[in-house]
Amino acid sequence: MPEIGRISRGMLTARLPANLAQSESFRPAPHLSSGLIWFDFRMSDNREFIEEFLVESSENLDQLDKDLLALEADPADAPRLASVFRTVHTIKGNSGFFGFSKLGALAHSGEHLLGKLRDGRLRLDDRIAGTLYTMVDAVRAILRSIEATGGEGDQDYRELSRSLTAAAEQAESTLPGAVGPDESKATQASPVAANAAPAPAPSPSTTESTPSTGIPAAGEKPEDGPTPAAAVTATPATPSPEPVSSVATTGVAAAGVTAAESSVRVDVDLLASILDLVGELVLARNQLRSIDSDDPAVQACSQRINAVTNALQETAVKTRLQPVEHVFSRFPRTVRDLAVSCGKEVQLVIDGADTELDRSLIESIRDPLTHLLRNAVDHGIEPPAERVAKGKPRAGRLSLRAFNESGRVTIEVSDDGAGIAFEKVREKAVTRGLVSAADAASMPPDRVLQFIFEPGFSTAAQVTSVSGRGVGMDVVRTNIEAIGGTVDIHSAPGAGTTVCVHVPLTLAIMPALVVRCGTERFAIPQSAVGELVPLAKDRSGPRIEGLHDAPVMRVRGRLVPIVFLDQFLGVRDQTACREDGTVVLVRVDDREFGLVVDGMRSAGGHLRCRELLDSASLSTIVVKPIGALLAGLGLYSGATVLGDGGVVLILDLRGLQRLAKLPPVDHEPDAPAVPTAELADRYLVCGTPAGRRVAVPLADVVRLERYARQDVQEVGRRRVVRRGDAFTPLADIDAMLGSPSVTLPTNVNVVVVSADSGCLGLAVDSILDVLVAESPLQPAGMAGLAGMLALGGMATEVVDLGAMRNHAIVEGHR
Amino acid sequence: MNVTDRRAPAPTPVAHRYCAFRLGDACFAVPADGVVEVLRGGRLTTVPLAPEGVLGLLHLRGRIVPVIDPGVRLGLASGARDRATHLVIALQDDWYGLLIDEMLDVVEISEDHIDPSTSSLSEGSGEALAGVFAAPDRLVHLLDPQRMIHSLVRPRPPFSERQGVHHG
Repeated sequence: MPEIGRISRGMLTARLPANLAQSESFRPAPHLSSGLIWFDFRMSDNREFIEEFLVESSENLDQLDKDLLALEADPADAPRLASVFRTVHTIKGNSGFFGFSKLGALAHSGEHLLGKLRDGRLRLDDRIAGTLYTMVDAVRAILRSIEATGGEGDQDYRELSRSLTAAAEQAESTLPGAVGPDESKATQASPVAANAAPAPAPSPSTTESTPSTGIPAAGEKPEDGPTPAAAVTATPATPSPEPVSSVATTGVAAAGVTAAESSVRVDVDLLASILDLVGELVLARNQLRSIDSDDPAVQACSQRINAVTNALQETAVKTRLQPVEHVFSRFPRTVRDLAVSCGKEVQLVIDGADTELDRSLIESIRDPLTHLLRNAVDHGIEPPAERVAKGKPRAGRLSLRAFNESGRVTIEVSDDGAGIAFEKVREKAVTRGLVSAADAASMPPDRVLQFIFEPGFSTAAQVTSVSGRGVGMDVVRTNIEAIGGTVDIHSAPGAGTTVCVHVPLTLAIMPALVVRCGTERFAIPQSAVGELVPLAKDRSGPRIEGLHDAPVMRVRGRLVPIVFLDQFLGVRDQTACREDGTVVLVRVDDREFGLVVDGMRSAGGHLRCRELLDSASLSTIVVKPIGALLAGLGLYSGATVLGDGGVVLILDLRGLQRLAKLPPVDHEPDAPAVPTAELADRYLVCGTPAGRRVAVPLADVVRLERYARQDVQEVGRRRVVRRGDAFTPLADIDAMLGSPSVTLPTNVNVVVVSADSGCLGLAVDSILDVLVAESPLQPAGMAGLAGMLALGGMATEVVDLGAMRNHAIVEGHR
Repeated sequence: MNVTDRRAPAPTPVAHRYCAFRLGDACFAVPADGVVEVLRGGRLTTVPLAPEGVLGLLHLRGRIVPVIDPGVRLGLASGARDRATHLVIALQDDWYGLLIDEMLDVVEISEDHIDPSTSSLSEGSGEALAGVFAAPDRLVHLLDPQRMIHSLVRPRPPFSERQGVHHG
């Protein structure tokens, strides 16, 4: 066992985490009697103590950021100075204890500087604050390195130590608050500057000695942490501020102790297993309730167990929740840095930081929120001069609010800046071809704002170091939607912008619709479910149109693609619910589709409560992982155990949508009555990329599919897509018909048709409708067209699929 | 957070304990320290479109456990037999159930008695086998659970190929 640190016995009992004393891994060896034990803290056995140290230090650093911000506002806040000193001292002590010498040296230099500040021998100014922030960041970097690799990393922090020391030493020669600008320059965040400046003589020697002094420093003070007494006695030279700081510090320390006593650190795995066991108990409770008994004593007991189980489940779920404070606590610092780099003045107001959210979600909202704050500071809030000219206060107000709202958590980022320029967004959307100029002009402002969520969309005139590269809001939305949330944006020109992020309280528990499909049951997250549409055998109600593999349903003017769940999952070879199933309309990433599941309607056509419960029911489910083996399928996002003890898979709608290659929904508000004509007279009407309106006989349509642009391969001058084992040629209708060929969009909608001698894909821009011919087919006299006819009151060209296929194979797309 | 593996036993250099079980006419064994539970019966939920060899999901003490048919890759016909016993093993954080015919015994096998040749079974099973131990009355095939799970689960062909359209 290699020797890492040699620790005196007294110190060990005082400073070790309390649980080490009982830990199995800590077996006092015979040489304990000599008063010394040798202990390797890098052994994997002791990893957990280092983990604990890391967690604790990271929390301390967050507190440090907060304290430094407060100190910038009020540099004379003695209790806070003492608290900062204490925090750094603790980090120093712990790092010495674990043998992290770089960290120890750095913290030592910081402690030295802070000691001077605390004793009033130096006054905190912007430059010193900057140096201290750099130190906090450096400590964080070391801790991250320890967490990732177990070592402190190769980074050299001696320069930083030196500039910390230099800042402290300068105070020696100057009076409090009278630090000359020329001298304090050296204390600026940049270590290079500190190095270049004529450093006071004692500083290099101090730095050299710190790695060694850092370790014994902890041992020198066997008492638990820097008590106020120790802190004060360490600097007896301090004259007047001493009594004040001493009293105030004691108060803070006392408050700290009570806070620490009311909470306990618990292993997350332990909490998870408690939750699992509670789940088991709920199942047993359900079984107990199903047992009939006339004995009133048994009934009373059963009821009591029922109530207690419910309460226990609620409490257990609460253990997963953490206040959003964990994420919010870093934001004041982030906003400060942003404001400085953008030359703005920003006042951040945080409200509702105690709102709780599942711990697994807390981390997922950090990046999106940081991005929103960055947007607000960089784009939203105007420079101070401009604000004053507009009659606003110099400092912009940035508000971050979290609150509970209808079972979800809403986080609102709101600024009083310039707002979003609707006209610019409109213009940009038209230039980028997202919308036609005419459509854009008639769009209401709220609809226009939605373009902000398009990938690569930015109205920033210039790229700054902070934002404006056009990656952003789409990523924010993607990240939030990935955890089942939504993002809203509202903006008033001149008055500011508000972005609301709604996220579920937890992912571990969610309301879901449990549907039946053949002999199986599946859970569908309720947040995605729009409505349930029962299909009627007598075809009186809504029904599914389209044959082959491209079924659609018409819902209030929209054509919604349909997936027969039983057929898709292979539960049944042929779907059994085309006529008496129920369509669950779901929406994922702003795209709608229908899942046909087994019927929820009785033969008489009326929904009966009992049957509804049998075939589909809403319940709150506990989500459990299914392991990499099955998660890799991309079809199921987890599983749950229902009240009857049965395991039910949770459908991953995003994956399902991807695997089913569903086409997008198109809105057709003035849709005509449901066509009733024979299939031969029905046509699928599409828009081509160049804007032509063309039709394909519905009888020839095999599937509607959607491919990413990179899935379309160019072979010679031909475009093909891989479908299964074979390549399907992709026809460019526009090129064939003489319209200019348009480059492919990011996602290519493909109508797969069966032509004379095989399969052919038609790359179209949009699928407009399925319509019945209103006139006989008239010859069009043009290669590639079978003719022309009236569809939906408009002359529409009907594609000659045979010619198209030849063109696609022989000619290519040019 | 969870750094220490609480289940990890101190490695014994010479002998290991194995759980032996019967699968068809052959005898197999897995390291005993990975075994969580032996379960008779239990309700399986089938997983549509699951990889071959995955029989379904089992609920055990709050966990969802995929149940696997080891016979698929071990060259044994996976016909319906009297199998209704699940041997639940732990691999890192995941649990897996193996559907076996009969639980036999826990045996201690010394490393030097294990013959690394694995030719006695079919070709494809080699990767899942760690060796063979010749007991007085039979051959015990030692399984490497990690490799077995990996070799058992041959994902089905990509989805699009299965959903290929039925036409020329």
